[in-house]
Amino acid sequence: MANKSKNLKRQAKTIKRLLKSVRQEYPRLIIVFISIIFYTVLSLVAPVYSANIVDMLWNHIQDAINEGVKFSITWQTGGREILILLIIYIATAGLYTLQKFLMTSFSEKLSLSLREKISHKINKLPLSYFDNHKKGEILSRATNDLDKMSEALQTGLLTLFTSIGTVVGSIIMMIYFNIGLTIVFLVFMIISMVLTKTFTKKTLNYAIERQNQIANLTSQVEEAYTGRIIIKSFNQENNSIESMRQVTEQVAEATRKADFMTNAINPAIRLVNRLGQVVIAVFAGKLLIEQKLTVGVFQAFFQYLNQASEPLTEASYMLNSLQSALASAERIYNMLDEKEITKDPKNPEVVENANGEVEFRNVSFGYTRNKTLMKNISFKAKKGQKIAIVGTTGAGKTTLINLLMRFYDVNSGEILLDGYDTKKLTRENLRNNFGMVLQDTWLFEGTIAENIAYGKPNATREEIIEAAKMARVDFFIRTMPDGYDTVLTSDAENISVGQRQLLTIARVILCNPSILILDEATSSVDTRTEIEIGKAMENVMKNRTSFVIAHRLSTIVDADLILVMQNGNIIEQGTHKELLDKNGAYADLYNSQFA
Amino acid sequence: MKIIFKYVKRYKGLCIFTLLFIVFDVVGALLIPTITSDMINIGVGSKNLDYIYQKGILMLVVTIMSGLGALLGSYLCSKLSSNIGRDMRNDIYKKSLDFSYTNFKQFGTASMITRTLNDVNVVQQTFISCVQMVIPVPIMFVSGIAMAFSINHQMGLLLVFVTVIIIIAAIFITRKATKIFEKLQRFLDKMNVILRENITGVRVIRAFNKEEYEEERLKKSFSEYADSAIKANGLFAGLDSLAFFAINLCIVAILWFGGNQIGVGNMEIGDITALTEYAILILFYVIMAQMVIILLPRARICLKRINEVLDTESEIKDGKDAKNIKRRKNPIVIKFDKMTFKFDDADENTLENISFTCKRGKTTAIIGSTGSGKSTIAKLIMRLHDVSSGSISLNGQDIRNMSQKSLRDHISYVPQQAWLFSGTIRDNLRYGNENATDEEMMHALDIAQAGFVKDLEDGLDTHVAQGGTNFSGGQKQRLSIARALIKKAELYIFDDSFSALDFKTDAALRKALEKELTTSAVLIIAQRISTIVNADQIVVLNDGEIVGVGTHQELMKNCKIYQEIAKSQLKGGKNGK
Repeated sequence: MANKSKNLKRQAKTIKRLLKSVRQEYPRLIIVFISIIFYTVLSLVAPVYSANIVDMLWNHIQDAINEGVKFSITWQTGGREILILLIIYIATAGLYTLQKFLMTSFSEKLSLSLREKISHKINKLPLSYFDNHKKGEILSRATNDLDKMSEALQTGLLTLFTSIGTVVGSIIMMIYFNIGLTIVFLVFMIISMVLTKTFTKKTLNYAIERQNQIANLTSQVEEAYTGRIIIKSFNQENNSIESMRQVTEQVAEATRKADFMTNAINPAIRLVNRLGQVVIAVFAGKLLIEQKLTVGVFQAFFQYLNQASEPLTEASYMLNSLQSALASAERIYNMLDEKEITKDPKNPEVVENANGEVEFRNVSFGYTRNKTLMKNISFKAKKGQKIAIVGTTGAGKTTLINLLMRFYDVNSGEILLDGYDTKKLTRENLRNNFGMVLQDTWLFEGTIAENIAYGKPNATREEIIEAAKMARVDFFIRTMPDGYDTVLTSDAENISVGQRQLLTIARVILCNPSILILDEATSSVDTRTEIEIGKAMENVMKNRTSFVIAHRLSTIVDADLILVMQNGNIIEQGTHKELLDKNGAYADLYNSQFA
Repeated sequence: MKIIFKYVKRYKGLCIFTLLFIVFDVVGALLIPTITSDMINIGVGSKNLDYIYQKGILMLVVTIMSGLGALLGSYLCSKLSSNIGRDMRNDIYKKSLDFSYTNFKQFGTASMITRTLNDVNVVQQTFISCVQMVIPVPIMFVSGIAMAFSINHQMGLLLVFVTVIIIIAAIFITRKATKIFEKLQRFLDKMNVILRENITGVRVIRAFNKEEYEEERLKKSFSEYADSAIKANGLFAGLDSLAFFAINLCIVAILWFGGNQIGVGNMEIGDITALTEYAILILFYVIMAQMVIILLPRARICLKRINEVLDTESEIKDGKDAKNIKRRKNPIVIKFDKMTFKFDDADENTLENISFTCKRGKTTAIIGSTGSGKSTIAKLIMRLHDVSSGSISLNGQDIRNMSQKSLRDHISYVPQQAWLFSGTIRDNLRYGNENATDEEMMHALDIAQAGFVKDLEDGLDTHVAQGGTNFSGGQKQRLSIARALIKKAELYIFDDSFSALDFKTDAALRKALEKELTTSAVLIIAQRISTIVNADQIVVLNDGEIVGVGTHQELMKNCKIYQEIAKSQLKGGKNGK
């Protein structure tokens, strides 16, 4: 129970925030609200009014028959009332249309404003957020979650309000007409509500089962497509088809059950409602014969009955979807509430075209507060030096770079660029001095030229080609169907990992930064090309500081300073020769690579 | 659309029964108001209580019949659609296995997965909606109008008139909707792509100080999406309102004209209720169908994508003469004869004029830089590609003249990226030979330097996670080598399969291989010179052409490219600068 009230409190808070963020839309909401009230009242009035017309017509017709004349509707004998009914109906439809259209743009605008907040937030979140959250999770917040919310707000809110109004109003009217028949109706209504509840529970279970089976199929399909060459080369096609068949059969089984449950709920409830109608019709017939009921009232009663039974199931369904919409909104607010990176200093120091002196002074750091990875690290890179960082996977090589670029902030100690504490610069200014190539190559959907010019959008085609030539990727680009204007797809299956690496190198060369960082930048390129790139880079980097992480030691033997890392700390530093002479960890590593 | 009928045809009985139950449901829904009006007209008019009870029982029967019809109908429909989905998936998968490397790459792994999973799902769901919401419409339409006519001609005409107007409006809206929804889908995809790029590229974006640019890019795609979503939703709202309006108008018209018809004695008062219900039912069904039809373009795109897969003919076909391949006779296992290969969409040949042989009992190595076409050679031998000109023969027979199965029976392959299937180590090794005994498996593991399996708690039964992620790169490579060794083949291809091994293991493994594979040919594709120094024959590839063939010593003397490769890998400290 305590849990439930806590939940309610949280939901109330989310609703408040949502309302707050749509403040400028209040007039629109007020109009919608007023419109809903009028709409509900009018749609309750219409059936009574039409019942009166039917009764009136009936009386006029009886009179006409008694007088022995033919009857036709004139202004006096019902025409005026029918016109009024028409006006009532047109007004109802008009209000309905008004609400619908107002809500459509309202909910989309709300989700647009939240999306815009997210797009701003993404750039302000610390990198640790991205480390700790799955890609798909962040993605689905901005897309699915918001779409769900917008859909629920758009139809859900309206349906909920009008349904409640209609149901309550209809039942009141029904009681007013005939309390006995109303009681019969209420009995069946309760039955259908109970039915809805049990169905919903079952449906949920089947939906979960279906989801599990689909997850199972997904992993099987992924595995089969990725490993298809192996399947073929070992002639395992038939076995593989057979096991795929088993899984698809399981999915079909689960889908059948889940789909049936989802689709059966409406007919089932309709069946109950209709059974109720049968009983009511028989009772009403009896009352009609006994003249305790008029034909018009009978008709009106049935209209209310129809009006009341449909929205009821709808309202309960909408309540569920609104709840999940709230949950979606809550997840989005959680993301928007995440702690942001620290603000840049107000009066920052400025380092333009840095000399390239970098110093780590007693730096300590941990990705989580309570676990320090790096303790008291110090080293110094002089202008124009090549600094190599080596060590096994997880030794903290990339962490060092992350700190240098201020993707993360140090726990204690300081990092200096040209003698300035990097914390005293703006991040933009700091990063402007660096060019970075990562092992994990990132290209976006766009042409090759656009990708190379990412850091310098105003670059000319000549500059782009020049950079590509330096990165030894010009020839490859020319063999592509549209050359530099070839569009890279998002999964970029049209180019290999090695070629992607070369493109990202070209991108950095074009930027012409003061300091270069290569984080396993050529790991997927063969040794000969690697050396060629190395030579090209040597020209680019002449008199500029560079940081190189490499697992192939042959590329870094000429470094001015080699940092050997282990468990987050620098355990050895020096030149290749010094370190070999020392016969320590570096010598071990080196000898294990060259038999 | 044809394709869906192809699948539906397989379940004729199921279809007929589904349709039958839908008819039950619809007719029942229409009969109830008719009976109600009878009850009032005759029963109340003649004050006959028994008649009312009789009609009440009839109503009960009809209600139950129609309700059961609806329930059974939706059960059969779910069954039908899930069967169709299953069949489609099976067919897509079967087809995918026939594909050549290029065929498959055309679609891409990610897209193939989407096609097999999501696209089929969309088709399946749309199929259900169509059967439940669209197919009843004509039935409802015809029988509803017929019943209205049986009450009164004028009223029948009125209903026809209103319905036709609604249908015309619906067609008009659908036309517009198709465009809007296609646009919406495109914007949604774009939004997803840009968001994904922003999340995966967060480091690069920040390193290049492109935060603001990316924020603008995101915002633009968001507002594009919002604009077209508003349009799309507006369309739905418009349709909804229109229907609402039409129903109301229709009710008033029934009152007016119906009143007059009753006045002249052509109709009873109770008929008004019945007619009103017919009108509401018909219009309700038309609108529901409309909602489904608006979503059809999306399903059509999915169907088209599925069809693309099923319609693609594999570019590689089995030769006619498949069985007469002699084993272990010919001293030359594989022979490349002036072979040239070019990808269909490429301007230049990937491999040009390649000629060399792999001899029984000998090791042939291929070395070259990234993109020199080394791996393509392995794929050509396995017939994952077909040569463009020249030929490749196995035991003297052109590989295009044998079945792919018997060709691959003779070859055992270790891929560049070690790939293990989820299951156990034993399951994976059985890929090589289904009947392998534990001893054979352990032997193969020993040769592959994968003795670590013995130290595992569950040994051969150790669980392998999807993609083999619970093993290190080196372990995965050794396991996939063991898997290949269990298969008795005449040619063993190692496609850069030693890259994740340290030098010691590499050397030990090669020594063990030499001892084991005395009667087969071995082809090693490598980047590391140390892996291949002892090969009987080394083929040096550069930009798709052979620039040298010989032993290590010979090539060091006369092949410039080989020398360069060697130099780049020697100990930099001593021999470099």
